Amino acid sequence: MTLLGIAWRNIRQRLLTSLLTALSLALGVALVVATLVTGGIVKQAFESGSGLGYNMIVGAKGSPLQLVLNSVYLVSKPIENISWDFYQQFLPAAERPDGVDGTFAASTKTAVPICMGDYFRGFRVIGTNTSYFDRLTVGNGRPFVFSAGRNFRNDEFFGGVLGATVAAKLGLKPGDPFAPTHGADDGKVHDPFTVTGVLARTDTPVDRGVFVNMEGFYLQEGHAKPVEGEAGSGERADGSRDHGNQGPVPLPFTQREVTALLLDTASLPGLPPELTAMGLRTAINEGRDGQAALPIAEIRMLLDLFVRPLELLLLLVTTLVVIVSAIGILVSMVGSSLERSRDVAIMRALGARRSHVLVVVLIEAVLLAVGGGLAGWMLGHLLVGAIAPLITTNAGVSASIFSAAPGTEMLLVPFLVVLAILAALLPALAAYRTDVAKWLSS
Amino acid sequence: MDTPVLELIGVRKSFTMPGGEQVNILDIDAFQLAADEHCALEGRSGSGKSTLLNVISGIMRPDTGRVIIDGIDIAQLDEARRDRVRADKLGLVFQQFNLLPGFTALENVLVAMSFGSGRPDRDRAVRLLDAVGLGHRLDHKPSALSVGQQQRVAVARALANRPRAVLADEPTASIDPAHQQQVIDLLRNTCTEQGVALLVVTHAADVAGQFPRRVRLEDFNRAATGHRS
Repeated sequence: MTLLGIAWRNIRQRLLTSLLTALSLALGVALVVATLVTGGIVKQAFESGSGLGYNMIVGAKGSPLQLVLNSVYLVSKPIENISWDFYQQFLPAAERPDGVDGTFAASTKTAVPICMGDYFRGFRVIGTNTSYFDRLTVGNGRPFVFSAGRNFRNDEFFGGVLGATVAAKLGLKPGDPFAPTHGADDGKVHDPFTVTGVLARTDTPVDRGVFVNMEGFYLQEGHAKPVEGEAGSGERADGSRDHGNQGPVPLPFTQREVTALLLDTASLPGLPPELTAMGLRTAINEGRDGQAALPIAEIRMLLDLFVRPLELLLLLVTTLVVIVSAIGILVSMVGSSLERSRDVAIMRALGARRSHVLVVVLIEAVLLAVGGGLAGWMLGHLLVGAIAPLITTNAGVSASIFSAAPGTEMLLVPFLVVLAILAALLPALAAYRTDVAKWLSS
Repeated sequence: MDTPVLELIGVRKSFTMPGGEQVNILDIDAFQLAADEHCALEGRSGSGKSTLLNVISGIMRPDTGRVIIDGIDIAQLDEARRDRVRADKLGLVFQQFNLLPGFTALENVLVAMSFGSGRPDRDRAVRLLDAVGLGHRLDHKPSALSVGQQQRVAVARALANRPRAVLADEPTASIDPAHQQQVIDLLRNTCTEQGVALLVVTHAADVAGQFPRRVRLEDFNRAATGHRS
C-alpha cells in the first residue's frame, strides 16, 4: 500500500467530513470559475466591438463613451443626431448629389450612417444602408455572412436584416414581417418591415441588432426632422420629384438626420493611418457639428477605469472565498487530529517515519483540494452553461458550458493545491510530532 | 545460547518528572533473546515493561547502553533509521490490538509492509491472514471483526515484514480467559512456523508459565525496585 493509498483510505475513513470539506472547496472554486469565465465573456463582448471594420465614430457632441456604447454596443441612449449635411461632408463626389467631394472625404474610406431610436421587442432597431454589411466587417476583416436570405437592397425601403440572436430568440426568418415601435417597446407601432436576411452569429453586439433600410426608417412617423418654412417641400432624397404611385417616396434631405457615422478612416498620402485618424478627429472635434470618438480608446479607458478594477475586486473576493475554503481543510484536519493522532502513533509503531506521516497528511489535503477543485471547476462551468442563454441575449456573445478563461482557470487548481498544502502544514506538523509512546500507552 | 536476535547491554533510561525529579526506569546490565527463542517477560505494574518495549523497538532511545537488534545497535541510530529497523526487524503486537479502524484486515497488513524495505506483497499478506484463519475476512474492517479476529489480524500484521522477533505487549490482557489460550497458541505457533523469536510481556503467571523461558523484569532491571514506569 502506497502513501497515496493510505491517504485515500484516511479520506474514506472520514467520509462525511471529507465530503463536506471538498464540497465547501468545490463551491468556492465554482464561484471563482463562474466569475472568471463570465468576466472573460464580458471583456470579450467589449473587445469584440472594437474590430468591426471601422475605427472612428462621429456623432453629436456629448459623451464620447456614450456615443461608443450606443453605436457599437447598442446599449445606452443615443446622445442626439447630427445633420445630414454634416454626414455628407464625409462622402466622396460620386456619392453626393452635388458631385463635389465632402470636406472630410479624403480622410474617409467608408462612412456608414446609422439612425437609432426605435425598438423591436426589446432589441435595438438600427436604420442604415447596404454599406453596413457590404463594407464593414465582423472583425479581423471577416465579412458578414448571412445564415439565411440576404442583405436588403437600397430600393427595398422596408427591408430588414436581423442579428443571429434576434432571429433565434424571436423565431423570425426571411419573408417574415416585423413592426418596430417608436422610442421604446411600448411606443407607437411603426409600419412593418420585411426580413430579407438573417446574419450568421458574429459573437458581437451585431447579433442583438435589428437593421432596417434607413430610407424606410425615415418614412416612419416622427422620424422626419421638422423644417421651418419648408414643410412639405417637394425635394426628394434622390433629387427627383414625386414618383406618383410607383412606390414610397424618400424623405427629403432637409428633413433627415443621422445618429452617428461609423467611419473607416483613409490614409492621406505620406501620412500613417493613425495620424490621419488623429487629424480627422481633431478637425471634427474642433468644429461645431459633432464629435469624433475612437472606440478602441474609449473602450480601453472604460476597461481601465471600471471593468479591470471590478474584475480585480471580484477576483479578490472569490480568491478570499477559496482561501476560506482552504481554511476549511485546516479546520477539518485539526478537527480530526485526535483520531488521527492515534492512527499516526500506530503507523509510527509499525515503522512509519515522521516524514511518512507528514506526507500522508499533505497528500490527504492535496487529494481534497484536487477533488474539490475539479468538482468545483465542473460545477462552475455548469453554472456558466446554465446562465449562458442570459449572457448571449444580453451581452451579444455566445456563452456555453465550454466557455473558458484559459489563462487564469489553468492556474486555479495548482493555486488550490498550494493553499491546501499550506493549510495542511499545521496538522501535518502535529502528525509529525505525535508522541508515539504516549498514544500507545493511553 | 544461539546468536541473539536481541541484546541489551548496560541500558539506562530515566525520565525527568514535572517537579524536576529524575526517575530511573530502566537499569539493565544485560539481556538477550536468541533467534527462534520464545520468552515470557513478567513484571508487575510499574516495573518498566512498556518503557523496555519502547526502547527495544526504538521508539525511545536509552540514555546510555546498547540495544542490538539482529546485529545493529539501534541506540546509536537516528530516529529515521531506528524506524526502518523497527519496520524490518521487529513485529509489534499491542494490548489493544491497535488496528487502523479505517482499513480492512488485508490493508492493515499491507500498511505495515509499506513501511518496510521490501515492496508491499499482497499475496504474502493474504497468506499470513490465511495462516491465522482469516482468509475469509480479508475485506472486513476491524469493527466488523470479533475481538479474537482482531488479535489475529494484529499477529499477521506483526509478521508482515518477515521480522526477526515479535514483541507482544500484554496480548491477552484485553480478552476473556476463554480466548487467552487461543491467542498464546496463535502467537507461538505462528512465530514457530515463521522462525521468529517471540518476547511476550505479561503480568499473568499462567500465560508466562507456558513459555520455555520465563524471566521477571525485576530480576534484571535494577531500577524496577521501588520505581514506577
